[in-house]
This record gives sequence, C-alpha cells and structure tokens, in this order.
Amino acid sequence: MDPRCRLLIALMLFAFSLAFLDLPKVVLVLALVILAGTLSKILRRLAKLQILTGILVAFILVINITIGYSVIYSLTLSLRFLSIVSSTSVFFLTTSPDELEQVLKWLRAPRDVVFAFTTAVRFVPVLMLDLSQIIAAQRSRGLEFEKGNPITRLRKLSPILVPMIVTALLRSNDLAEAIEVRGYGVSKRPTSIYELKFSKYDWSCIVIVVLATAALTFLLIY
Amino acid sequence: MSAIEFDHVWYRYSSHQDYALKDVTVTIGKGEIVGVVGPNGAGKTTFAKHINGLLKPDKGLVKVLGRDTKDESVARLSRDVGIIFQNPHHQLFSETVSEEVLFGLKNFDVENPGLVAERVLEDFGLLQYREKPPLSLSGGEKKRLCIASAIAWDPKILVLDEPTVGQDLNNKRQLLDLIVSWSQRGKTAILVSHDMEFLWALNPRILVFSKGRILADGKVDVVFTDEEILHEASLRLPQLAELAAKLGWKNPPRTPSEAAKRILEVKGWPM
Ligand SMILES: Nc1ncnc2c1ncn2[C@@H]1O[C@H](COP(=O)(O)OP(=O)(O)O)[C@@H](O)[C@H]1O
Ligand SMILES: [Mg+2]
Repeated sequence: MDPRCRLLIALMLFAFSLAFLDLPKVVLVLALVILAGTLSKILRRLAKLQILTGILVAFILVINITIGYSVIYSLTLSLRFLSIVSSTSVFFLTTSPDELEQVLKWLRAPRDVVFAFTTAVRFVPVLMLDLSQIIAAQRSRGLEFEKGNPITRLRKLSPILVPMIVTALLRSNDLAEAIEVRGYGVSKRPTSIYELKFSKYDWSCIVIVVLATAALTFLLIY
Repeated sequence: MSAIEFDHVWYRYSSHQDYALKDVTVTIGKGEIVGVVGPNGAGKTTFAKHINGLLKPDKGLVKVLGRDTKDESVARLSRDVGIIFQNPHHQLFSETVSEEVLFGLKNFDVENPGLVAERVLEDFGLLQYREKPPLSLSGGEKKRLCIASAIAWDPKILVLDEPTVGQDLNNKRQLLDLIVSWSQRGKTAILVSHDMEFLWALNPRILVFSKGRILADGKVDVVFTDEEILHEASLRLPQLAELAAKLGWKNPPRTPSEAAKRILEVKGWPM
C-alpha cells in the first residue's frame, strides 16, 4: 500500500479519536484502529504499545476517578487517549524510514527537515543498542538500581545518561562527516530510486477512507 | 575448585530465532589465560556476559568460583569478575580520571579507595591525568583507564571483550605485559578477540566459537595451525604459523627472533 494512503487512514483515525467525545463512538474508533492494525499485520507490536500506553491510561483513570469524575467520563477519556496514541502508531509502525522520507518529500518538506526527521527515526534502534550496552557495562562495575532511596537512585542515572549523550553525539558527528564526504547538500533536488505511485488498490483505499470519513462525520454531527 | 564452569549451556535472545549459545560446556581453571575467538556473531560476547551473570542460561548451568550464577546478582558476581566491554565510551562518565576509577571501588566497598585508585593509576601510567576528564584522553588511554578501573577493585577473573580493536602496537604490547603479569598473580583472564597475532604472542589456551558452539579447545599452536578449524571459523593463520607451515616445520616459532634463529641455523649462516 502506498504510504500516503496509510498516512491518510492514520490521519482520519487520529482526527476522529480527537473529535469523538462519547463512549460508544470512542469505542468504535478504537475498534477501527485495531482493525487497521490487524489488516496491516502489526497487531502484536501494536498490542505491546497499547499495553505500555494502557499502564499510563490506567493511572490517569484512577486519578480521574479519585478526584471525583464519573467512571464513564474517565473511561471515555482514557480510551480516547489510547486511540489517539494507537492511531498514530498505525502509521509509524507500518512505515519504514525510506517511505517516510518519500511522503515528506511529496509534502514538499525541505530536504534538511526530511533528512533530520528520517535520521532521527533510523537512529532509535541504534541508540537502544547503545543504551543496553551502557547498562551492561555499568552493571558490570557494580551499579545497582534496585538499591537506595529515590534520591540516590536518581543520582545513579548519570553513569547511564552521560555515556548515552556522549555516544549519541559521537555518532551524529560521524554521520555528519560521512554524509558530507558523500555529497550531501550538493544538489537541491536529489534524485531518488523510489517513486511513489498510486495503484488501483490505493485508489479503492482512498474511496473507502472518504466514505468512512463521511459516515463518521455524520455520526459526529447527529 | 575451577574459576569458571559452563555445563551444557544454552542461551537464546528473545528477539532471535536461533540459539546464541548451543550446548556450551567448558571448564576454566584458576590462573588460566584463555583466548576466545570466532567470527562475528559466533556468541563470544554472549559467552562473556554469562560469566558475571548479565545473562543467565536458559538451559544448563554456569558456575563462577563454585557459585551458580542463577543465585547471585550481577553486582555480587562482578566483585570477582571484572568485565571490560569493547567501547570505552559506553562506560566513561565521570568528571575526572580518578573519579572514574573510584566508581567501582565505592560500589564494591573497597577500603582506602583514594589510595588504591592512585596506585592503580600509577601502574597504568595515568597518574598525570587524574584531574583531567576521561574523554580528553587518547583512544589507547581511555581503554587503559577502563581496564584500570576494573583491576582497581581486584577481581579474581578479568574478561576483556575485543581489547585490541583500535589499539596501536605500543598499546597492544602494554596489554600483553599486563595480562601476563595478571596471570602470574594466579588470576584468571579471558580475552575475547580475533587478533590472531596478539593471541599467538600471548600463547594462551584457545576456545574457538562458531555459530554458538565451541568448535575447538586447545593450546594456540595446535588450534591455530589447524587449517580446517580456522577455515570453519573464518580465521587466518598467524603469520609465524603460516611461515612454519610453508617451511614444513613441526613446531612453529613463537616470536620472529626465534624464527630467524632457526632459519639461520638451517642455512648455516653465521649469527
Ligand atoms: N542484545 C541482543 N539482542 C538480540 N540478539 C543479539 C543480541 N546480542 C547479540 N545477539 C545475537 O546473538 C548472536 C551472538 O552474538 P554475540 O555474542 O554478540 O557474537 P560475537 O560477540 O561473537 O560477535 C548473534 O547472532 C547476534 O545477532
Ligand atoms: Mg562481540
């Protein structure tokens, strides 16, 4: 599927996650988000993310109820939050940095912005690997997070954070040099090996999205 | 009691299909120097991380100094097992070189940490930098500092992951001396490395890893002259071993001067 098509679906789901305010409609959107996730075969990763968000959401829910909001209202709010987060993830979990780059280019974003954005996305797994190696290295030097009161625990973050920042800076420095020697910035409109093309399948997708948007707007107004 | 004991150890990373360690069984005695070699992804680092309990076996048993690693925390095992990973930037974080050494000493409640740190820095030729930020040191000095900060708390086993990568000849020579004197004190050293020349000069026991298994276990001159094993592990013969093979010598020389002496003897040239 064309990434622009995916973006459109995600935007629609996102917009209605924001717009709907009562419980049945919020549940409907959330169901659509999960449907989209199932169709794009990312359900497992989406579920993982939803569990993480779910913890936060449960927290908000408990606080809302304790400070006296009604259960229904708090539940709606929590589910809304969950569907807002999941709808954007549907796009980001299915879209590779390459495709993201294409979409941003198509949207006429300046090249530096596109590059910065996609590089940031690409860097995440690399930095996660660094992080796990840093934690391993410091634990091997006797660092224990489980011990101590909250203040001493906070101080234990610096053996992790300082190397993390240093390696990230070193990596970005290396990258800057590496792209410069390979001609980054020479051409204003560099060529690309991928071109975005809408297939019949994508057009039918657009039609479905438009129909769904109409239906949901109808629901929103009446 | 042996220093390290792996008994039919299997380990798989949750994100991977294949086991990273497959039925690894090996016993390493106190005071031994062991070189762990093998191609990238063979499981060498995974093996090393089992020694201080960063990873625990899925199946099988790892015992360090007689203690099952499943029953111990990483911190308690690290008191006896100093592991230094490849990238110094993954551990250097203090404002000064001496604080960097003090970090481990304090974590492990070592007595007189200030004095100990000073002595170690002196041993490693880093005393003049003690008030400097670690990041201002050269690559070789950073590596030395990392090793110093582990040796400072005086573990019984030292594990070095790829210690020679990015090190110049002088640094390697110092490292060699350091490991030799370490083992002379009755301590155990594990070197994960594919620097064949370095290991050849050090002359340790060699474990060859390939695809998570131990392919060979033996002295350097046996393992590093077995072309079949080396091919399987995508390793290259050390130069002196290759020279010996080409000349048809049974026992290859350890150093270039030994080789030269033998060649001159054969030729009957005056020394
Ligand atoms: N943190 C990790 N998560 C998932 N897989 C890993 C991780 N670390 C290593 N592996 C995998 O385990 C295998 C062995 O890796 P490793 O022990 O690092 O090999 P070596 O140190 O010999 O190069 C490789 O296939 C590698 O991809
Ligand atoms: Mg490794």
